[in-house]
Amino acid sequence: MTAVQHPPLDTGERRRTGDARTLITSLIDPATVEAIAVDAWVALVGEEELLVPVPGDLPADTLSAWVDVVGPWTGSVVLTTGRQTAADLTRALLREAAPELLDHEDVADAFGEIANVVGGNVKAALPGPSTLGLPEVGPAPAVRHPEDVCRIDVLWRGQPLAVSVQGALPSLPTPHDNPHPNGASL
Amino acid sequence: MTLTTTSFDWVRQLVHRESAIVLAPGKEYLVEARLLPIARSMGLPDVGQLVDSVRTRPSPESTRKIVEALTTNETSWFRDGDPFTALTSTVLPALLAARGPAERLQIWSAACSSGQEPYTIAMLLEDAMPYASTRASITATDLSRAMVERTRAGRFSQLEVNRGLPAPMLVRHFTRAGSEWQVSPSLRRMVSASECNLAAPLPRMGPFDVVYLRNVLIYFDLPTKQAILRRVRALMRPDGWLFLGAAETTLGVNDSWERVVVGRSSAYRPLKGA
Amino acid sequence: MRALVIDDSRAMRRIVGAALEGLGYETRQAGHGREALDVLQEGWTPDLCTIDWNMPVMDGLQFVSAVRANPAWRRLTLMMVTSESEQGQIVRALAAGAHEYVIKPFTADALRDKLALLGMLPEEAVL
Repeated sequence: MTAVQHPPLDTGERRRTGDARTLITSLIDPATVEAIAVDAWVALVGEEELLVPVPGDLPADTLSAWVDVVGPWTGSVVLTTGRQTAADLTRALLREAAPELLDHEDVADAFGEIANVVGGNVKAALPGPSTLGLPEVGPAPAVRHPEDVCRIDVLWRGQPLAVSVQGALPSLPTPHDNPHPNGASL
Repeated sequence: MTLTTTSFDWVRQLVHRESAIVLAPGKEYLVEARLLPIARSMGLPDVGQLVDSVRTRPSPESTRKIVEALTTNETSWFRDGDPFTALTSTVLPALLAARGPAERLQIWSAACSSGQEPYTIAMLLEDAMPYASTRASITATDLSRAMVERTRAGRFSQLEVNRGLPAPMLVRHFTRAGSEWQVSPSLRRMVSASECNLAAPLPRMGPFDVVYLRNVLIYFDLPTKQAILRRVRALMRPDGWLFLGAAETTLGVNDSWERVVVGRSSAYRPLKGA
Repeated sequence: MRALVIDDSRAMRRIVGAALEGLGYETRQAGHGREALDVLQEGWTPDLCTIDWNMPVMDGLQFVSAVRANPAWRRLTLMMVTSESEQGQIVRALAAGAHEYVIKPFTADALRDKLALLGMLPEEAVL
């Protein structure tokens, strides 16, 4: 029965409206994500700690911290930066309480808390109610569906950092009448 | 970095003189970041030229912009709470007793900044009397067009709603709008915002039952302070109430006011016949 | 005055603790609600608890409900300090018995303003 329902033309727009799942790009824009991140930095890292909206190349050795959001939109809010920058952020948060040598747990705690603060506010800007997971730290979770991502790239103290709000669900099925799927990148 | 030591020192002295806040050496970066938008808005390429321009042609407006950009992070709700406690405990009951049921109360927030003060007053009125938006109006004015627009929009960031706004009032009077919070339509109906330069002749407004003129007079010299208080008085009802900032007074500036203690706050009332 | 800072992040406990100590509070810390209840049960009674929402073992809302269920702790002031900032969540926390709600991110000034609203600034304490 469903097999005979060929949509006349796949414009992407149609896919969005036809599918029950709403893409993040129609729920939040990069300016909102940036405003949330800037506020988090000013309050947590320091009043003069500006995030400059200039993309930079992330180094090879990165670390990510993220929280999961489960609700009408389900996905993760992922912060990614160089390992050294994550350590610098940790020192900025711990200040005089920072140990001489940071271990992974210190970095996971502080970087994870920043992800929690950014993620909590991203969640509140999305349709709710949703639940927020506890922060996790490690290699970034894979992008499941490149169109279900809202990402900003900024510099903190000259070092690149990315905030990615990305859907956790697998790629939407490619419509069968589209001969060249472009959703399966990477 | 375009800021010279001389320019930075001038800014430091200005801020210290106007606000008693000390900018430590090494804060050049902060000065650059905060003042660049002001320079751009005046069509100047950098902060160095902004400083040069204000040094050669000083004006209260540009001085205030610079000082504000460097000293205020966010204005608080219920800033220095006492003048608001006084409104609900004493001023409002007195006015409601004195005015007829059809008379509309008029309140003026004379330096409304981004809107926290007029909306604080609006929330208190709405919580204190039924149908507040039909019985009271709040005129919010500011020198800065940007601030007037912000007040009109009634949208506040997360950091702003964190500053002294009781959580029960946040959830009662605001709704989430993206990363910001939007004040309710009924509060916005009560508040009308417009530009107004207190140091120049005032537009036709009022007459006001209550005027909040807080932390404004400090920016002006004595003759200007006197002129402002004279103009404000002319727009007030004879039994009106004026609230100034905690560090401000009419005493020794303009003697046509009577200082009265209201709870833990002071208010000024027009002296009869003065 | 005493404050118990409840948050699963050590960095956040430091930030909140430092802000409160700057205002004159004596502070202790707990990493989740259960640990906080242990501190209360051992007899260290604070005037204020600052409470994160999402924590392992026992979350902030469960902690608020547990405190409110025990009349011995009815004088405790409970202030949520959390990145949970959906309007419905704030309403839930207030309904469960939290007195105030500070949304992360916050500045030290924001904490001070909220405590002033509650009459909980140590230098104003009249003994």
